[in-house]
Amino acid sequence: MESIKIKKITAVWIITVLVLFIVSIVLGILMRLNQGEIIEQSPITFYSNMTTHGLTMIGIWFVAGMAAVNYLMQRYVKTSYTANVIAYVLTVIGVLIFWTTTFVGKFHAGWTFLYPLPFKVMWATWATPLFLVSLTVFGLGWLIWSISLMTQLLKKYSIAQVFAWQHFRKNPKVETPPFILITMITLIGIITCLFAAVILIALFFAEYFSNGNFLNDALLMKNLTYFFGHTIANEMLYLGLAVIYELFSEVSGRPKWRTTWYVALAWNLTLIFILTAFFHHLYMDFAQPEGFQIIGQLASYLASLPAAGVTVFSVFIAVYRTEIKWSLTNLLFFIGVAGWVIGGLGAVIDATITNNVLLHNTLWVPAHFHTYNAMGNVLFSLAFFYWFTNQFTKNIEDGKFTKLTLAILLIGGIGFLLAFYIGGADSIPRRYSNYPTDFTAAAPLATMGAIFATIYLTAILIFFFKIYKGCLKILFSPS
Amino acid sequence: MQQQMILLVFLILAGITTVVFTYVYASSKKAGQEKQGMSNPLRKRFWFLLILFVVLGIFASVTIPKSPYFLFADETPKKIVHVSAMQFAFILSEKAIDPKSPSGEPIELPANELVEFRVTSLDVNHGFAIYDQSNTLITQTQAMPGYVNRLRHKFKEPGKYNILCLEFCGMAHHGMRSSFIVK
Repeated sequence: MESIKIKKITAVWIITVLVLFIVSIVLGILMRLNQGEIIEQSPITFYSNMTTHGLTMIGIWFVAGMAAVNYLMQRYVKTSYTANVIAYVLTVIGVLIFWTTTFVGKFHAGWTFLYPLPFKVMWATWATPLFLVSLTVFGLGWLIWSISLMTQLLKKYSIAQVFAWQHFRKNPKVETPPFILITMITLIGIITCLFAAVILIALFFAEYFSNGNFLNDALLMKNLTYFFGHTIANEMLYLGLAVIYELFSEVSGRPKWRTTWYVALAWNLTLIFILTAFFHHLYMDFAQPEGFQIIGQLASYLASLPAAGVTVFSVFIAVYRTEIKWSLTNLLFFIGVAGWVIGGLGAVIDATITNNVLLHNTLWVPAHFHTYNAMGNVLFSLAFFYWFTNQFTKNIEDGKFTKLTLAILLIGGIGFLLAFYIGGADSIPRRYSNYPTDFTAAAPLATMGAIFATIYLTAILIFFFKIYKGCLKILFSPS
Repeated sequence: MQQQMILLVFLILAGITTVVFTYVYASSKKAGQEKQGMSNPLRKRFWFLLILFVVLGIFASVTIPKSPYFLFADETPKKIVHVSAMQFAFILSEKAIDPKSPSGEPIELPANELVEFRVTSLDVNHGFAIYDQSNTLITQTQAMPGYVNRLRHKFKEPGKYNILCLEFCGMAHHGMRSSFIVK
């Protein structure tokens, strides 16, 4: 009975995520069309849409990863269905409140809501406190979910086992599955950054209700904002990686991946690097202590080592000169890892302080994070969605049609991203509703971005129609 | 132009990544039943990691000393420009700016001399990005309320330089700009 309920709630998550994803892509396309001077939006509409697009995307791909991890975790430990449902209900309520602030209240401080911008009201006065309420609702639901999953892991595994420390010795008696290790490392990162968000929101509310008697420190608030924002954006990728470690070999018809000493070491180190890499968002704040700036660059570099040396290499070892059963699921995983690596290259380039001076807040920034999200993390989740629906419905795969869909996805994705990268190298600022006339390439590049994003959207719609029918069947079947 | 070099390096690295992934995928498609796999994967993994570590180490040790915080740190600037950013304008002055009645004047700077911009904000976070005549971003810092960021730079070419806001600051963010002359 419990497994049926988890199956159904997972199907509900998938449909919700995909619907919100399609709406958010449309908002993104409208933004690029406005920048390309093809349509005309007021700056307020543009920036409200930008805020909606950013936070919705971060939210949905985070919960998509969580839903996938929750579903697969049932293989090892019993998880709480109630926590899962609470997270879903609070996520939906959070989205409704948040969308009210942006679509109705025209709140447009960006998804990073950098202090003190939310207090310089250029929108309905109720929108700022309501926006903070929506964040609180999200945070509450996600904290309950994360803590519940972590508690279940700790009921079965000791602290040393859940971090796979026994693998540092020869012939460990107990094996910690890679999925458990990565999930635990990721959950710690998630809970830590959600606590940072709690402090951040509390400080916002403290100033809001103080009638001017209490003012926050802008540098501290910015550090908290990016500790939360950067970390959650990275952890959602790691949720996707946990799913890959669990499913890639399985769907490929290969032996299950096992935890070794270097896998354990890599993921333990990742926890440290990921919690300190956020400093790279503050490189251009010269008032920040220089030691933090250097830690930012070193941690950003070091974070790539376990990722490339262990995860990517493991995928290569699994595939290289090995006959495996290719399906849409592992193809999406494989292409997603490539997208993640290429986005990571763009990120490491930008995380070099001397480059950041020339790239910070130019289009290079959306270029690299859209690469590892739209062509990385999204594909990880789509792979899970597809695998999940195929478990319960006989979704016969059409080889040619699959290849065509993937080709559309790749063409759309690459063209859309190239417009960003070229724009970044051309010093074009990000987050401009309209480009000054001296950036002659900016509008044509934006139009190019919109066209290719529409091609990408076409592929996503095809996936949506493949997946949602299966999800509805799961939802309305008695068992 | 450094940005074009960065793009080129990125495209080469992205190209290499694509080729490697395609090659690995193709090798799987061609593989027979005998399951050849990768020989000595642990050794290959070790060398791959070591090379990556050394390359990144070299890169970090070369680039970090050139970070803007350390550039011209031992020199005395010939000219100091105070900058106060506010929604949606920049105020530049050679004199300290009174936040209660901020006012500035047109700025002219000497070429090939060290200039220090003392950048702050009177309201929200802003960016202070300097663009040259070819509209290329040459340096930047942030303007943060309550803090002063000191940006040092030597302008090689005389001419008009534009200042753009690169930190989203509200509905007229894209129109927030100023300029100065280098002679």
